[in-house]
Amino acid sequence: MFEINDKTNAPARDHGTDILVRLQARFGALESHRQRQDLLRIEVGQDQLLPVLSWLKGDTPYVQLTHLTAVDWIEEDRFELIYLVTAPALFMTLMISISIDRVSATAESVFNLWLQAETYEQEINEMFGIDFPGSPRQGVPFILEGWDDMPPMRRDFDTVEYCKRTHPERPGRDHTDPRTYVGKKFGEKGYLT
Amino acid sequence: MSRTEHLKSLGYDVMPNAGTEVDPREVQLWFGPQHPGITGNMSVQVWLEGDTIKRGITHVGYLHRGFEKLMERRKFIQSFPVVCRICVAEPDTNEYLLAQSLEELSGMDKDVPEKAQWIRTLVMEMSRLQATLMVLGGSVGTMGMGTAPNWTYTLRDFVLDSFEELTGGRVYHMYTTYGGVRRDLPTGFALRLEETLKKIDERLPYLDDLIFHNEVFRMRSIGVGVVPVEWADEIGITGPPLRAMGIARDVRRDYPYLKYPELDFKVCTGEGSDIYARAWVRRQEISESVSIIRQILEKMPHEGPYSAKLPNMLTWTIPRGSTYVRAEASRGEMGYMMVTDGSDKIRRVHVRGPSYTNAITVLERMLPGTNIADLSALMVSLQTCPPEIER
Repeated sequence: MFEINDKTNAPARDHGTDILVRLQARFGALESHRQRQDLLRIEVGQDQLLPVLSWLKGDTPYVQLTHLTAVDWIEEDRFELIYLVTAPALFMTLMISISIDRVSATAESVFNLWLQAETYEQEINEMFGIDFPGSPRQGVPFILEGWDDMPPMRRDFDTVEYCKRTHPERPGRDHTDPRTYVGKKFGEKGYLT
Repeated sequence: MSRTEHLKSLGYDVMPNAGTEVDPREVQLWFGPQHPGITGNMSVQVWLEGDTIKRGITHVGYLHRGFEKLMERRKFIQSFPVVCRICVAEPDTNEYLLAQSLEELSGMDKDVPEKAQWIRTLVMEMSRLQATLMVLGGSVGTMGMGTAPNWTYTLRDFVLDSFEELTGGRVYHMYTTYGGVRRDLPTGFALRLEETLKKIDERLPYLDDLIFHNEVFRMRSIGVGVVPVEWADEIGITGPPLRAMGIARDVRRDYPYLKYPELDFKVCTGEGSDIYARAWVRRQEISESVSIIRQILEKMPHEGPYSAKLPNMLTWTIPRGSTYVRAEASRGEMGYMMVTDGSDKIRRVHVRGPSYTNAITVLERMLPGTNIADLSALMVSLQTCPPEIER
């Protein structure tokens, strides 16, 4: 009833250059970096994102969205969105990256291309405050129900300050900060003299 | 827009207020977060008509501990006790992926000794074996049959004994580290592990009788919980749910890592894409894992270092870069998106677990029409793992 496939030899993995050439012929010069034999990083403009991803999904074997995440480059005043698009038949993954303005923080949704993007976009919306207009679950809490502070994965969110504010120490409680404890026990230098 | 408003706009009757018209035939039920049939700390809100689910929504958030944020504030070496907790049942995949991603970005991956790579492969396969044993028993246990999970959990505990001997911990190991592993195999470890493998081999025919020749299990699993093949690429399904569709994809073979290219193993597939097929794929994978572990014990070198010379971990910096590394966990493709910025801390890490799609996108779309009694079995067969969704 069931078939067990034998191990087969994987095809030659030189598809990165091919797809880059095709992408550049269609969308102009693109910055790229070959991270590994099976992983090619490509930077595209924000307005090129949907055309590039639509073309990849529709006209090439890069049919699967493996991953979507954001990086906060606060010192450069931008967010980076990284889309991992995989061609299962070629054993090759493209890391498509775009930069978006940190203040307006809006990007186009790819939900219409891949259904599971709604969850990724929902999480990024909650954790980074990036909007994806048209994505079905924008503004709906994913993990942080009842959260009323700034999106916590932003670099300027101070976790220590947040904890001190929301979980203040009870009065009369012994201080358990290791530095204070060690100081009390071993003297100011922090070790036995 | 609040969650309630949003769900109402989609047509759901969420927490209906007095005066709101509600279909009198409909019952709203929270399945979890505290329910023996739920897989971990999550819940599924379902709307029932009789015992048939009309629609449902997955709710997560009970287990969020902010691991990714924590790792941004820690030195690289301090992240190991964090990542293993991303998946309780199978922590070693996380340890390997953290180590591998940072080794790749720092250029240390070329220095990992041969023996360390073999030991890592051994640990990864032992981890897959014990997790698959647990899930195979769980598939039947959710249907009210307790004997099979008792057996498989016992066998899993024998594997955990080996983990305890090797790493000092039964569940969380923190054994894989940058440049290799923390310690060498103890003397006689291979012999004792072989004893466990023999026990598993001996018990498997009985498990076949108990599970796959069991008429109750067959009736409740064949043709139930069928995941359409079209969803494979559309939703990005991986692991046993994908292979149960008959699609032979496996990260170990397709994106070779560690010593898997030097090992002979089959990618097990099934037919029908139902609960039975997924259980059967896992049953075959247990045999394959046992075979792979035996090959590793036979082929691995007994001499040589088990770790590279490491830089000072308190001052170690990694150049700016980004990568994505993947490995085949028992549930499917597990991946780490890692970004570094030249400092002594991780800039951004995002964990891609197979449950991210399986427990939300796939499960929610499969719920309409499912019988409430099959919900637990469906979730276990998709192997949904909430900690890796929330992190």
